[in-house]
Amino acid sequence: MSSRAARTRSAATGWRRASIKASAGKYWAVFRTQLVNSLAYPMDLLGRSLLIVLFMWIFMNLWRVTYGSTGARSIAGLTLADTMWYLMMAEAVMLSKRELSDTITEQVKDGSVAYLLNKPFNFILYHFAAGLGDTILAFAGNLAIGSAVVWLMAGPPPGLAGWLLAAVAVVFAWLLDFCFSALIGLSAFVVEETNAFRWIYQKLLLVLGGLLIPLDFFPAWLQTVAFNLPFAWIIYGPARLFVDPSLTRLGAVLTQQAIWLAVFGCAVWLIYRWAVARLAVNGG
Amino acid sequence: MIRHLPFLLALWKANLISAMEYRVSFLTQMVGMMLNNAFYFVFWIIFFDRFEQVQGWNLLDMFFLFGVVATGFGAGTYLFGNALRLSSLIAEGQLDYYLSLPRPVLLHALASRSNASSAGDFTYGLLSFAAAAVYSDSFSGLMLLRFLLASLAAVAVLISFLVLVQSLTFWIGNAPMLTQNAFNAIITFSLYPITLFDGTAKLLLFTLVPAAFIGALPAEFVRQFDLGQLAQICGGSAIFLSLAVFVFHRGLRRYESGNAIQVRT
Repeated sequence: MSSRAARTRSAATGWRRASIKASAGKYWAVFRTQLVNSLAYPMDLLGRSLLIVLFMWIFMNLWRVTYGSTGARSIAGLTLADTMWYLMMAEAVMLSKRELSDTITEQVKDGSVAYLLNKPFNFILYHFAAGLGDTILAFAGNLAIGSAVVWLMAGPPPGLAGWLLAAVAVVFAWLLDFCFSALIGLSAFVVEETNAFRWIYQKLLLVLGGLLIPLDFFPAWLQTVAFNLPFAWIIYGPARLFVDPSLTRLGAVLTQQAIWLAVFGCAVWLIYRWAVARLAVNGG
Repeated sequence: MIRHLPFLLALWKANLISAMEYRVSFLTQMVGMMLNNAFYFVFWIIFFDRFEQVQGWNLLDMFFLFGVVATGFGAGTYLFGNALRLSSLIAEGQLDYYLSLPRPVLLHALASRSNASSAGDFTYGLLSFAAAAVYSDSFSGLMLLRFLLASLAAVAVLISFLVLVQSLTFWIGNAPMLTQNAFNAIITFSLYPITLFDGTAKLLLFTLVPAAFIGALPAEFVRQFDLGQLAQICGGSAIFLSLAVFVFHRGLRRYESGNAIQVRT
């Protein structure tokens, strides 16, 4: 009896493993297809990466003048070179993000969501896999061009540790950003017009996320506010880790990202289930 | 231009009536854009709280700058909404409709669409100017006149620049990335103090990417009357406007029809 139960349990575990493997395979295929698709348009990729040149040049002018006017070699522990490399990583993360909320909103508005929901994959995970395929290439392009520009203007980049630790934090930053994008996109089930939410989210990343200015330059009370919100862990976390890498900082960044991922991941899941349940498809 | 004013007013009225059919969406976008701009401005409040001034520019200058740029951008892209998608109209052969009617093609095409979010930019610009005027304690009727003139000049240069860049579609085909990058460049540069940039960069901001005519120059003029600046603003607007009309019509000779002539009711 007990050996029969053990066999049944073992078969169930094996089936579950095979099922997870097959499921992961589907999303891997979606990711790979999007990656290849993006690679097919190298000029488009290059065009998307040109914007970082413009931003870095403006930032260099702004911060060179600002550091010059204070007369200090470093502000809040960051030299001019540190600030520029911080901003480069912050912009690379921001400019590489795919506007998934826009895609999801369009699919809800034009009804094509109905065609995706009956496919043998999860609507949310499908978008994440496709978005990641596009984002990784854009990130590589922005990083290469942005680094070249900042190196020329501000000097050599941080060491290898900075690149490696930031890379880990960037992956979790994308996951967290995806949760926000999905929530904004899913809000189309209720309000249809989601542009306003998207703009405000972007501006929250700009200011409270630390995209335009390192959060270390904020007054103390505002730093406390920013560090207790999720936006800082999408932009500031990876960018600060890049210029000041340490395992302690990595631990702190990943902990914050994990907490916010748990909160917003659950929110996406619940709202997705609710939205699909109330979806009414007429005709076909 | 004056003789086409009734036609333009009729188009703008039709656009407004159309937008009011979806007034919740219109208001959501308008308020959303105002909040969007306000959040962005928080950056400058934080920046100047810490550094007080940068090359002679302070927070008050930024209020004036945002006032002129947002009002100009909002008015321009609300009244001439197709200026943001002229490139695709040309590439997809959608100018046929405008070519078939006895009205100026460029003016008709540009004014046939309004952007709801631009109304938010416009309102934000007015509020920013009002805040600047109160904060500087220098409001006067003449300042209001200078603000109106500066905003009109900003509209003229912005729309001309967008038309110029997108008219390249007649020669090189659809180039959405070029349009997007040009648009981002002019908006980004116009929202920074011009004193950050040196000689060559400044020259570019008055010519190739004329952000100075949309932001810094008119904003400085609003703060204080200067005959030289007035001449630059008027001259710059006239030159860019003429150039845009000339280049668009030269390009129109190369236009390929999309067989999309139709009657709209």
